[in-house]
Amino acid sequence: MVLEKVQEMLAEKLGVPAEEITAESEFSALGLDSLDFAEMLMNVETEFGVSIEADPSIKTVGSLVEKIEELQKKGS
Amino acid sequence: MNSPLCELLHIRYPVLQGGMAWISDGKLAAAVSEGGGLGIISAMNAGADYLKEQIRLARSLTDRPFGVNVMLMSPHAEEVAQAVIDEKVPVVTTGAGSPAKFLPAWKAAGITVLPVVASVASAVMAERAGADAVIAEGQESGGHIGELTTMALVPQVCDAVKVPVLAAGGIADGRGMAAAFMLGACGIQMGTRFLVATECGVHQNYKDMVLRATDVSTTTTGRRFGGNTCRCLKNPFSRHFLQVEYQPETTAEDVADLGVGALRLAAVEGDTKNGSFLAGQISGLVRKEQPAAEILREVCEQCDALLTGSRGKD
Repeated sequence: MVLEKVQEMLAEKLGVPAEEITAESEFSALGLDSLDFAEMLMNVETEFGVSIEADPSIKTVGSLVEKIEELQKKGS
Repeated sequence: MNSPLCELLHIRYPVLQGGMAWISDGKLAAAVSEGGGLGIISAMNAGADYLKEQIRLARSLTDRPFGVNVMLMSPHAEEVAQAVIDEKVPVVTTGAGSPAKFLPAWKAAGITVLPVVASVASAVMAERAGADAVIAEGQESGGHIGELTTMALVPQVCDAVKVPVLAAGGIADGRGMAAAFMLGACGIQMGTRFLVATECGVHQNYKDMVLRATDVSTTTTGRRFGGNTCRCLKNPFSRHFLQVEYQPETTAEDVADLGVGALRLAAVEGDTKNGSFLAGQISGLVRKEQPAAEILREVCEQCDALLTGSRGKD
């Protein structure tokens, strides 16, 4: 669920089909610069009601999804 | 609004609509002029026939003055320069180079000439060549840009020339306009805000991309080899362009080839993947499609309120 939504948000932002974005995709390889990344984190926070620290270990779509899920569990 | 620019150009609001290739046609220019600003038809890279057709279209829609933007790098610059004389166009703005070559003929024909400049030196040279005013355009603008920001460029140009100065780049509301006046400008030029005007015939996908854009949505291509820096919205095209541009083996010619036809794909076809969507950094502030006249009224009323001391609405 979280993965699908993140894929959808990224696809919309990048103007590419959602199929091109997988859990393994790295943000830098997708063409997201640091400003885009910060903006995306803000959007993710709003969408999922979590607060994410900018963490250098979040490099792939999958690692972001894990982070969101972990925070959601803590919150509930 | 009181501005020497209104007298110079016979307009109500000291606001010009930027000449945007493939976007600023006779219909948009006429709508801006009808609304009290000065509409500008972009002669872009086309020949004189296209321009004459657009001038006739604009004249069928308004009796008010409008201008033509002559792109000096265009292969058709000579014939376009003559066409504005033949068609008795009252105002010409110029971009992408020095207009000195055409200025004597335009002045002799009674045309008011406003070159777009991106530095103090080019502003001084334009004044010396006979320009009636200059448009100081910062790198916040969409399309081909220089290096300086509007905030830094405008006051320095104002100090260096005696002719009126217009500010362009990063302005899309009354706050920006009021700031431009504070910097010494006596008028403004807006492109991006008019791109989403109801009367603008650009593809709806283009408008939607501008309306959805945020503060970090634009990027610049063509910086590496200089002289051809271009601001556009980030999309698959811009990312591909930048990827190729910064590969070590890439040459200036390769980069020049990359952009060919991409603007038409964006403006006419609405190809969100392969098109180049030129737009300014202020896109994030542009939130709705509305008639050109309403845009002009809104921006100028907010500016007026700010300058006369009451706080403008956000």
